[in-house]
Amino acid sequence: MNYFIRLLIDFAYFLNTSVWYQKKRRFFYNLLENDEYKYKKYFDIFMMILIFSSVSILIYEVKRDAHDLLNLFNSYIISIIFFIEYILRLWIYSSISKVIIHQDEYSDLLDRDFNLLFVINRVFKDKIEYMVSAKAIIDLLAIMPFFHELRLLRIFILFRVFKIFRYAKSFQTFSSVLASKKFEFFTLGMFALIVIFVSSVLIYVMEANNPESPIDTLYEAFYWSIVTISTVGYGDVVAVTNEGQFVAVIVILAGIAVLAFTTSLFVSAFTEKLDDIRESKTIQDIAKIKRIYIICGYENIAKEVAKKLMDTNFNIIVLDDDVTRVERAKKDGHHALNYNPGSADSYKKLNLDISSQVRAILCLREDDVQNVYTALTVRSVNKDVKIMSLLMNSANRNKLLSSGANEILYDKEFVGLVAREYVGQPVAFEAIHALRSENSNIKIEELIVTDRILNSIATVGELDNVRFRVVLLGIHKKSKDRFFFNPIDSTFLEVGDYLLLIGNYMFIREFSKYLSKKVQTKA
Amino acid sequence: MGVSSALVFGNNEYGLEIAKNVTHKYKHITIFSLDGVDVSSSGDFKIEHFDLSDNWDTLREKHDIEKSIIFCALNDEAKNIFLTISLRAAFSDITIIAMANNNEDANKLKMAGATKVIPIVETTANIITDMLKKPVITEVLHSILYQDSSLKIIQAVVKNAELFNEQYPADIEWSRDHGVLVLSIIHDDMSQEFIYSSRAKHNLIKNGDIFIAVGYEEDLKGFKKFIGDNS
Repeated sequence: MNYFIRLLIDFAYFLNTSVWYQKKRRFFYNLLENDEYKYKKYFDIFMMILIFSSVSILIYEVKRDAHDLLNLFNSYIISIIFFIEYILRLWIYSSISKVIIHQDEYSDLLDRDFNLLFVINRVFKDKIEYMVSAKAIIDLLAIMPFFHELRLLRIFILFRVFKIFRYAKSFQTFSSVLASKKFEFFTLGMFALIVIFVSSVLIYVMEANNPESPIDTLYEAFYWSIVTISTVGYGDVVAVTNEGQFVAVIVILAGIAVLAFTTSLFVSAFTEKLDDIRESKTIQDIAKIKRIYIICGYENIAKEVAKKLMDTNFNIIVLDDDVTRVERAKKDGHHALNYNPGSADSYKKLNLDISSQVRAILCLREDDVQNVYTALTVRSVNKDVKIMSLLMNSANRNKLLSSGANEILYDKEFVGLVAREYVGQPVAFEAIHALRSENSNIKIEELIVTDRILNSIATVGELDNVRFRVVLLGIHKKSKDRFFFNPIDSTFLEVGDYLLLIGNYMFIREFSKYLSKKVQTKA
Repeated sequence: MGVSSALVFGNNEYGLEIAKNVTHKYKHITIFSLDGVDVSSSGDFKIEHFDLSDNWDTLREKHDIEKSIIFCALNDEAKNIFLTISLRAAFSDITIIAMANNNEDANKLKMAGATKVIPIVETTANIITDMLKKPVITEVLHSILYQDSSLKIIQAVVKNAELFNEQYPADIEWSRDHGVLVLSIIHDDMSQEFIYSSRAKHNLIKNGDIFIAVGYEEDLKGFKKFIGDNS
């Protein structure tokens, strides 16, 4: 026995440390349970196709004989796939090896014998917990048609439809919304049940002995009660005695109350959960986006920055702890969340890989205290992400830098610089700002030198920009991290260099196309 | 008539930054504090008090207003507009540069008579978005416009048009001949044309045209001398 236990423990440790095994287990977990996993949606679609084809075959078979291949597909192939899925879900639900290891460590710590019975009991409990869940029962019933020789079990194909709940997110949202009003629905259900029970008995007592009454059995009385309380009122079974009609009036009134209560419950459940649903939808949408700019705070400057970035198709997310400002951001068409930018939890809830998905975080509250706090929080969450922060009071510059901000945006300094340039060279100043204006046809653009361009163009002289009426202001050399104004024709180009071009945006576009075309022709 | 002094209305961080940035240009800089409020941290600048009573006699006595440039940088937007309109009513020919919090106030300031309005929110937002959208360009332009780099942008008036021998601006190899890049030309009607625009290509260079050129300080000096601008 001891040898067997030792073997079991060794095997558990082996599985727990096996990269291959853990990789496979993680893969199946992601595929079956992780909504963020990119391939899960394809798996879900595949399963839904199987479900619908199975039900379609069942419907076809009602009045026709299905082809043997269809039967084979429906009874065996689909059932086997569902069975495998069931086993996989059972497998990933809980880890047996972890239970064994935990028990082994516990025994070692307390210097006791390994309790195999406890392990079996624990594993059994975990697995049963999964097996008795509603979703697992539906999964199991959906496998039943495998035993198609038992004609009765064929009807279990219908249970496959319920499997859709597992794959369609909207159903899950719907049920989670209703679950939030569990108590109210329970109270309502109890009330309806009591009314149905009392009225069924009453109507049976009043009507059953009357030969003209269609209510002859307790089942018919029960049927009448349900039809009446639901306000459907088919009219196939009606009360004929005065006493029975009085009961009917009471049930009808109770029915109106039940219906009104149910409707209001649905409405209030959805109203209360609407923000949560929208929030989770926003987070889902955000998770797919790359090159995001997170704007912390949505005051005047942030609003203007967000607008300008959105106009040029930048992906932005606004975080603000003020509901009114968040609503304003949403109205302005941004992804906005009522999260506190100064809380690390907010960034966890966003479910973003900050290093790869976020280009920069902009602390744009018009309050240095808040910006310092936010910058510190962001830096504690991620060491590398670029943080740009607004500075309102020059005395706080060092505090912002110490908190981890990479760039300080001091509006007073900007105003001073603009004033400086204006008093120096007002006409030149206007000219250069006209070049940067969004409304101007003349643009100043940066064009990165790629491998493709470099294949056919080696030096500045070969660019031929003048033919396209484009001014080459200069080159920002990547290797030297320096700008070279008006470079001479023999200057070599390197991958990653930026060409700074000025010209009509159409001509710049043409010039850019020409550079690519030149490569293609050569190729 | 040369402008020799700058009068900055508003003893606050905006006023102080403006004062710091124009010291290279003006001999005398005075910061004015409204009703004695916010008189602290003015640095090395001379501080004077003023009120909005529309009595500018004291100001006239102490300063040559006609030879001054005025910055209206009060924190209170309404008072800033009131100050601008008062100054314009009293001194019709002076240059008034005013700060505005938003576009709405910028329009009001223009209506009040400001020569140039600096909208704070828009200016800041523009600089931030430029830094994100075109970081290289922003850095280069920032150094050309605002920093003490040897690369400068200038405006130069053509006074020797005959030297160009009836050439069109786009046909001249500016960088090869003068080491500078001419970006645009401003005609006598103050319309601005990009060097390669169709209109500029069909307009001969004439005296009075203003060239906007970028280049190193020495080259620009030589270029200005060449076209006859001795300013």
